[in-house]
Amino acid sequence: MKDKLFRDILPQVSKPARYTGGEVNMIKKDWEEAQAKMVFAFPDVYEVGMSHIGGKILYGLVNEKSNHLMERSFAPWPDLEEVMRRENIPLYSLESFRPLGDFDVVGFSLQYELSITNVLNMLDLSGIPLWSKERQQGCPLVIAGGPVVFNPEPFAEFFDAFLIGDGEEVTLEFLDCVYKNREMARDELLQELARIEGVYIPALFQVEYKDDGTIRKMFPIAKGVPAKVRRRIVQDLDQAYYPDKPIVPYMDIVHDRAVLEVMRGCQRSCRFCHAGMVYRPVRERSVDTLKKQAAAQLASTGYEEISLASLSTLDYSGVNPLVKELVKEYGPQGTGVSLPSLRVDAFSIDLVNEVQKVRKTTLTLAPEAGTQRLRDIINKNVSDEQLFSAVEAAFKSGWNSLKLYFMIGLPGENEADLDGTIELIKKVKAIGDRYSKRPVEIRAGLASFVPKAHTPFQWRAQNSIEELDKKRRYMTRKKHRRIKLSFHDSETSYLEGVMARGDRRLAVAIYKAWEKGCKFDGWSEYFHFNRWMEALQECNIDPDFYNLRRRSYGEVFPWDFIETGIDREYLVEEDERAEKGISTLDCRQEGCRDCGVCMALGVDLQIKEGSANAVES
Amino acid sequence: MRLRAEYSVGPDLRFLSNLDMMKLMARALRRARIPFALSKGYNPHIRLSMGTVLPVGLWGEREYFDLELEQEMSTSEFVEKINRTLPPAIQVKACIQIAANTRALMNSINCACYSFITNMAIEKLGLWKDYILQQEALIVKSRGKKKNVDKNLRLGILEIDVNRWQNFAIINIWVTNGEPLNVRYDELKDLLMQTGINEENIVDIYRSGNYIRVNDKYYSPLEKVK
Repeated sequence: MKDKLFRDILPQVSKPARYTGGEVNMIKKDWEEAQAKMVFAFPDVYEVGMSHIGGKILYGLVNEKSNHLMERSFAPWPDLEEVMRRENIPLYSLESFRPLGDFDVVGFSLQYELSITNVLNMLDLSGIPLWSKERQQGCPLVIAGGPVVFNPEPFAEFFDAFLIGDGEEVTLEFLDCVYKNREMARDELLQELARIEGVYIPALFQVEYKDDGTIRKMFPIAKGVPAKVRRRIVQDLDQAYYPDKPIVPYMDIVHDRAVLEVMRGCQRSCRFCHAGMVYRPVRERSVDTLKKQAAAQLASTGYEEISLASLSTLDYSGVNPLVKELVKEYGPQGTGVSLPSLRVDAFSIDLVNEVQKVRKTTLTLAPEAGTQRLRDIINKNVSDEQLFSAVEAAFKSGWNSLKLYFMIGLPGENEADLDGTIELIKKVKAIGDRYSKRPVEIRAGLASFVPKAHTPFQWRAQNSIEELDKKRRYMTRKKHRRIKLSFHDSETSYLEGVMARGDRRLAVAIYKAWEKGCKFDGWSEYFHFNRWMEALQECNIDPDFYNLRRRSYGEVFPWDFIETGIDREYLVEEDERAEKGISTLDCRQEGCRDCGVCMALGVDLQIKEGSANAVES
Repeated sequence: MRLRAEYSVGPDLRFLSNLDMMKLMARALRRARIPFALSKGYNPHIRLSMGTVLPVGLWGEREYFDLELEQEMSTSEFVEKINRTLPPAIQVKACIQIAANTRALMNSINCACYSFITNMAIEKLGLWKDYILQQEALIVKSRGKKKNVDKNLRLGILEIDVNRWQNFAIINIWVTNGEPLNVRYDELKDLLMQTGINEENIVDIYRSGNYIRVNDKYYSPLEKVK
């Protein structure tokens, strides 16, 4: 297989290095010796999938810490897919060049709702039946994890199991169970797996609907299967596994650097933010652990850059000492430190100036909304003054271009807010022009707000395509020199919204869309909205039902059975506070806001380096 | 201190671009803790310069790079350390110290040898070689940046030999590289196709060497360092 690939197939396709494996630090275990055999399948191309930290963690964990085996597979680009289908080559793993059908478990990482068509395409290329119910004994278990599975229901019928929450907590337990019960009949095995906390087996649940299309109830249909699935959570990141020897790809990937995960979770409580809700509470790693991990990773990879990743790295209590020590230790060898996410305040800029000894390229800040009123509604606790002082600090220290992130279609948004966004951008530009010799350029990215499950805005209606397009036209009616606005595609956002709060009745339409050729839906050149709309229509599904409707607080949601640990009452209260335009502060500074997560999951906020806000103190 | 190293790239790494190869080398140097010198400025990088670009899709038997070190280090220690951190498919085979003012590889390599492994009879290839060398012009459509113009490859073909290897016959073609005439391997392949050799006859292609050609003599970049 490998010979044929290298000689006849790969020379025909673009970027063949995506498909060769054999990278530095790749682990290829003995197939016969290994217990359960799992392939980590990422439903996007190699460059995207290899950039994902979760995958690196699971790959190292399974291969280093257990007798099971994990290999990797990514979605082939359509040019390779065409050759594979023509030449009858199944989708294979990069370690042993085996077809995915040879594994016991095919585990997909779902990072984005619309990657589901790539999942179906990858299964089809592997010769694995797409519907869970059609998979027989001897067929791999097809499972998924990742942020999207906090509402797994639209995809329920394609998967045998979902792993909910922190993957390093549950994956080995899952594989142990698969291996131990390898002789068991498939349905029995699924029932056995359902007993593991954090494992959801969709075939063991039934849903009943009301006449209006909403859910009457959802319940398990087998004995011993818990009615609620509680997410798994790492209690202490200092004790959790983290890979010292991540794979070093040969080709350029999206995030081609060593990565330290400084903390998990964020408690800024932005009301639109899915990750901020489902990964609570904040759990930090200590500076000591991170320094050791940095040393080990750099020694084993030779990377020239190390990135401090998290949902909000500048909120990490040890960011100051950590950055200083890393720069001191590795700077002389030309190894840089990078901070992927910035807070909107002057202090952040100072810290970035200190570490970024590279060329000053573009700086990105995210005020999210253009007026204070709207920022209070979404609970983005940033003031105009903070933004302006950050911008001033940036331009003063030599940056000459700036990118700002906003959302449109937010709850409570009106024309004044859209005007406010433009005004804000103009003010930022005016500050820049004051400090720069040449007029500066400001680019603003405007994403469309998509309400997500498990957030305070899960009851809200999403803006329709027409509303979003109208807002775009309104904002672009006047041209502004050296201000560039780029909008997220409203049709893509619409479909994301359908999936984000969809239920299992959507599966037939997803299948149909895939049959019509939908794949790589996150890539604009491959996104065919009309095919999706046809598929939905042919299945008699009204997509507006899922995202254009204001839902009542009493409605049963498809994702209600998943316990993130956050109380519904807290989400309701936050939604009501949004209505009144009242903001809620971070529990690290303001005391407990009673979201319920610590109590429900038996965890604590973990601030490792003294003050929760070392940066500002 | 400046080093020049000769290395091989195995078939498993044939799909890497030049940029990928530079990165691979730089990361191996870091893993091996070689005391490399860094460039000055905002974005410091390792003072590593590669020889001519190995085309994507080919493997190479004798490729070259120059490297500047911050501290003295014996060449044998260098080879041992770097080979321990390089992937198995790529290995440094020889290394010498060169003078700081040695001409850069890019500016001195002017000739390459491309090898076509075929499943053809060696006698037939002998006749083919004679035919090629007798021609005054061998026109193919150019590839690369300036595409599809007539290009006379004959002017760039310096030498051909044909020899047996296991059950195969290998055609080695020495061609000029860089200015004034750069002959690409894919153009050579087109020439083979135009002159009676078929796609099915070619089992593999690789670059077997890079040379500095002076007065009709071929020197390895390790020999010619002045």
